Amino acid sequence: MTTRTPLSAIALVTPVQLMIGGIIFLPAIYVFWLSLNQSSFGQAATFVGLANYAKVLADPYFWKALLNTVIVVAIVVHVELLIGLGMALFFASGVPLRALLLAIVLAPYAVSEVSAVVMWRFLFEPDVGMMSRLLATIGLPPIEWAVNPSHGLAMVSLLSIWLHLPFSFIILYAARLSIPSDLYEAASIDGASAWTSFRRITLPLLMPALLIAALFRYIFAFRLFSEVWLMTGGGPARSTEVMAVYLYLEAFRYNAFGSAAATGWLLVLASLLLALFYLRRLYKEMFARA
Amino acid sequence: MPKLLRHVLKLVGVLAVVAWSLVPIGLIALSSFKSDRDIFSTTGAFSFAPTLANYQALWSRWGDFFFGLWNSFLVTVGATLLAVGVSLLAGFAYSRFASRGLQASAFFLIFIRLIPPIVITLPLFPVVNWLGLNDTHFVLIVLYATFFVSLGTVVMRTFIDQIPRELDEAAMMDGASQFQIIMRVILPMAAQGMLAVSVFVIVYAWNEFLFAFIFTTTKAKTAPLVISEMIGAVEGVEWGVLFAASTVQLVPVLAFVILMQKHLVAGLTAGAVKG
Repeated sequence: MTTRTPLSAIALVTPVQLMIGGIIFLPAIYVFWLSLNQSSFGQAATFVGLANYAKVLADPYFWKALLNTVIVVAIVVHVELLIGLGMALFFASGVPLRALLLAIVLAPYAVSEVSAVVMWRFLFEPDVGMMSRLLATIGLPPIEWAVNPSHGLAMVSLLSIWLHLPFSFIILYAARLSIPSDLYEAASIDGASAWTSFRRITLPLLMPALLIAALFRYIFAFRLFSEVWLMTGGGPARSTEVMAVYLYLEAFRYNAFGSAAATGWLLVLASLLLALFYLRRLYKEMFARA
Repeated sequence: MPKLLRHVLKLVGVLAVVAWSLVPIGLIALSSFKSDRDIFSTTGAFSFAPTLANYQALWSRWGDFFFGLWNSFLVTVGATLLAVGVSLLAGFAYSRFASRGLQASAFFLIFIRLIPPIVITLPLFPVVNWLGLNDTHFVLIVLYATFFVSLGTVVMRTFIDQIPRELDEAAMMDGASQFQIIMRVILPMAAQGMLAVSVFVIVYAWNEFLFAFIFTTTKAKTAPLVISEMIGAVEGVEWGVLFAASTVQLVPVLAFVILMQKHLVAGLTAGAVKG
């Protein structure tokens, strides 16, 4: 590894580094400073130490939002990986019209969160939506997403899974396709059942891809905002807020920049914690390679 | 397993996959051509007299929406050019040079993706106001590009890694500068990677809600924001008009994703595997 960086290389990476440094990194650091101060629009900040954190951590709405986030993230990521894995294996086993089917599976990737909310609200519109009527026909209770908080969160989860399944699916499908087929041939010659070759070949070899997909989805699902904001607005009575919605309301509705900043920094810490293992491995790999 | 059962199960699987992905999209596209009465009729989704009334109503009463589409278009084009351009340059540097400093900055690129966008709106909101940049295309272009340059750089680097270095060296012998090498040698051969990066940025910028919601109000308002206003505008949503708007917003980006399917898959795998 050379210790000197050529000038031309520095020039080439400067635009990218300036953008992420100036627009993401410095503001994030500034949020940390904000979180230690009492401030609002047009007011001078006064240093208050950890008071904002204490205030946030004493706020039952914060805990409610955190709990909601954890529940939704746990449901969304795991169900999504499970369906994605199932679909990847299904595709790998050979499907008719593969290219067309692949395009169909990718379609939700193109849909905006706003339009997805329109679609799913319409499907589950009380009494008249297609899914509401279907549920009634088979004798199941209706999904009252506008009034019942757990139903609201279920809708948000369903919507998120639908929007992001293409991502998990593609990662897992690509990984499955890269497993050499002679492994399966050898296994079948040895008389292994389909279940055994799944347990002994597919699952271990897919593990890295599964972990990567899970990591990305944990981190991105944790930021969940638009789906909740547009579906329930955090209501009724602030019962379906998630972390990002709580942060938004603190900052832009209640003008409490200090506690919003504290929440923001807690969000950053949670992301870092989730990714710590991955970052460490990546760090080692990067410096080992060059 | 008997052959017939296998075939039946496979067919059921295919139908389930198609229904899951297409019913929500197809339903609103179809319903956008229905009259208000037919939208919630129980006589089956396909028995209705098609009408353009919803599109006419959208055109005459929600002029804002078409203005929003135009804003979305401008912002998407700007963000894509910016993100692809700077990612190409950085991707080239990370592919061709190695040093301790570069490694550290590559790590920083990936690390930065852990910071949630909503967090930085807190300090950016007052700064953007103070600079008088609130409600401009410029703010959205820069924000959208910034949130995709780290993925973009990683993807570009993966693609440029596959271009033989002998080509750069030959060009260098002929006296080409670093920039000329990028423009004449790398750019034509890295087109695949650039397409992959564009797919990400285009889909993101065209659909993004959070930043548009916080940083624009009237002049630079994007289409998703107008649709969100339609959801909340009147009590008792005007479903037909809403479906027409959602369909118009969706069709171009959906067609694009299907057309670019191969590049999307290549970009997703390159981006995820390498970080």
